[in-house]
Amino acid sequence: MDTIRIPSARGSFRVWQRNITIFRKYWKTILFPNFVEPLLYLAALGLGLGAFIQQGGIDGQPYVKFVAPGLLASNAMFAASFESTFNTFVKLKIDKIYDAIITTPVNAEDVVGGEYLWAGTRAALYGTAFLATIVLLGIVFGQPLVTSWWALLLPMMLLVIGIMFSVMGTLFTSLIERIDLYAYYFTLVVTPLFLLSGVFFPVDHFPAPVPQVAWFTPLYHAVNVCRELATGPSVGVLVDVAWILVFTGVLALIPVQIMRRRLIG
Amino acid sequence: MNTETERTKGALRGESTLEARGLKKSYSGFEAVKGVDFKVFGGECFGFLGPNGAGKTTTMKMIYGAVIPTGGELAVAGLDIYHHEREIKRRIGVVPQENNLDDELKVEENLLIYGRYYDLPSKLVLRRAEELLDFMQLSEKAEATVEQLSGGMKRRLLIARALLNDPEIVVLDEPTTGLDPQARHLVWDRLRELTNEGKTLILTTHYMEEAARLCDRLVIMEGGLIIAEGTPWALVEEHVSPQVLEFRTDHKSLEELVPILEAASDAVERTGEESILAYTDDADALLERVRGSGTEIENTVYRQAGLEDVFLRLTGRRLLE
Repeated sequence: MDTIRIPSARGSFRVWQRNITIFRKYWKTILFPNFVEPLLYLAALGLGLGAFIQQGGIDGQPYVKFVAPGLLASNAMFAASFESTFNTFVKLKIDKIYDAIITTPVNAEDVVGGEYLWAGTRAALYGTAFLATIVLLGIVFGQPLVTSWWALLLPMMLLVIGIMFSVMGTLFTSLIERIDLYAYYFTLVVTPLFLLSGVFFPVDHFPAPVPQVAWFTPLYHAVNVCRELATGPSVGVLVDVAWILVFTGVLALIPVQIMRRRLIG
Repeated sequence: MNTETERTKGALRGESTLEARGLKKSYSGFEAVKGVDFKVFGGECFGFLGPNGAGKTTTMKMIYGAVIPTGGELAVAGLDIYHHEREIKRRIGVVPQENNLDDELKVEENLLIYGRYYDLPSKLVLRRAEELLDFMQLSEKAEATVEQLSGGMKRRLLIARALLNDPEIVVLDEPTTGLDPQARHLVWDRLRELTNEGKTLILTTHYMEEAARLCDRLVIMEGGLIIAEGTPWALVEEHVSPQVLEFRTDHKSLEELVPILEAASDAVERTGEESILAYTDDADALLERVRGSGTEIENTVYRQAGLEDVFLRLTGRRLLE
C-alpha cells in the first residue's frame, strides 16, 4: 500500500492534455503580460543600466547580450512556479479538479506527473516566444543577442528547466494548507534566486563562498545553460545540464507521494 | 438505451458484485468506519442511510478509491481494491457529494475531457455525451459553461459524467441533495432506468422517500457501524408497527395521555413538548381508547409507518451534530 508511486505516462499525458485544452481557450488573454514582463526587464536593465556599464560589457560582451539569456531562464522559472503554486492550489483545494480526475483510471500520482509536464510546457511556450522576440530585436537593432545555432536546443531546455521549478513549486504546494503562504515561497525562494543566480551579474566573480553557494541553487545552472546555448556552449555546460537533471530526478517523486496522500485519505 | 434483462453488464443479476468484510477507516484516532460488512448484488440498487457523520461518505470513498481503508477487505466489481485500483475505476462511475466539474469548460467539453481519462475514442465520447445530455435533459445546455448552470443542472451533469464510461457500478453520494422536486423526480426516474438496464447502483441519501422508492435493499449506518439491513419494507416490518397516530395537545393533557398510550400501543415516542407518536397495529382501537379516556386532544394525525420512523427509531431524534 505504501509503496512509492510513479506517475504513468498515459495518466500524466491525460492530465497534461486537460490543461492544454483549457490553455488553448485563454492563452491569448494571458500571453501578453507574461511576455511583456521580460521585455521590460530587458529594456530597463539591458539598455538602461547597460548604458552605464563600461565599454567591453561583461566578459567582453554588451550588457544587454549578457542579460537576455538570463532573463530567458528566469522567465521559465516564473512561468513554472506560478503554474505549480497558485494554479495547482486552486485545482487542488478550490475547484477540486483533482478529486474528479482521480475517480477515473487516472491516479493521483499521474495528476502530479501531468502537472510537471504541463508547467514545463508552459515555461517552454512562453520562453520560446520570448526567445523569438530577442532574436528579432537583435536583428532589428543590428546587435545580435543570440549568436549560436545551439540556441535551437533552448525550447527543449526551457521545458526541462520548467519541470525542475514545477517540482519545487509542487513540493511547496503539497505542504501548505493556505494560499497566502505562497508569499513565503516567492519572497524567500523565487525572488532571491532571480536576483542572485547570475541573471544580472556574473556570480562567479564574487569571492568565496558566493559562487560555491550559487552552485547549489537551481536557477544558477539554468542561467548558465541558457547563456551558453545562446552564445555557443563550452563542454562545461554539460555539468549544468547534469545538475538540473539530477536535482529534478531526485526531488520529483517526493511531491508525488505527498500529493497522493493529500488526495487519497 | 438497450434493456438486457438477464445478464447485467458485469456480474450476473443476483450475483455478488461488491463485498465488504470488516471494513474500517480511522483518521488519526477518530474511527469514521468501525468495521462494516455488506454485500451488493448485480443489478440492484443498494442504499446507505444514516445521519451526518455516520460514515456513509467514507464508505463510498473507499469503494471508489479516494480513501484507503485502515482495515478489512473490499472487493468492487469482483476485484480486490488493494491490487486493482485502476481497473476498478475503469468499471465504475462516481457521483461525488461535492460538485467538482471543470468550471472553465462548457458542459459538453466537461464530458469530452472526462472521456479521455478513460481512453475512450473521441468519436464514441461525442456520441455518448450527446446521448447522456439528452438522458439527463441537458441537451439545450451543451454549449453553456458550467458556471451558467443552476445547482440542479450541475448535479445532473455530474450524473451524466459518471455514466460516460458505461460503468457496471455507479456510486452516488447524495445524488439529489439540493434538487427541486421536479429535478429530483427526473433523477429518480433515470436511476430506475439504469437499474433496469442492469447497472448496479450504490447510493447514500438523507431522504427516506428516495430510499424507499429506489433501493432494493439498504443499510442504516450510525457512528461508523451498520445498525440495520434489509429491504425497505422488511425494515419497517421489523422495527416499527405499521400504523402511526400523532397526537398534539397541551403539555398537561399530554402527561395524562402518556400512560394510556403506553398501555395500549406498541411504542410511544415524545416528539416535542406538545406532541407524541404512538405505533400500533390497530389505530382505530387505540383512537377509541384515547377518546374514551376523556383526555383533551387538539389534533390527531393518522398515517402509515415508513422508513423515516425506522430511521428515527434506530438513530434517535436528537440532533447528532
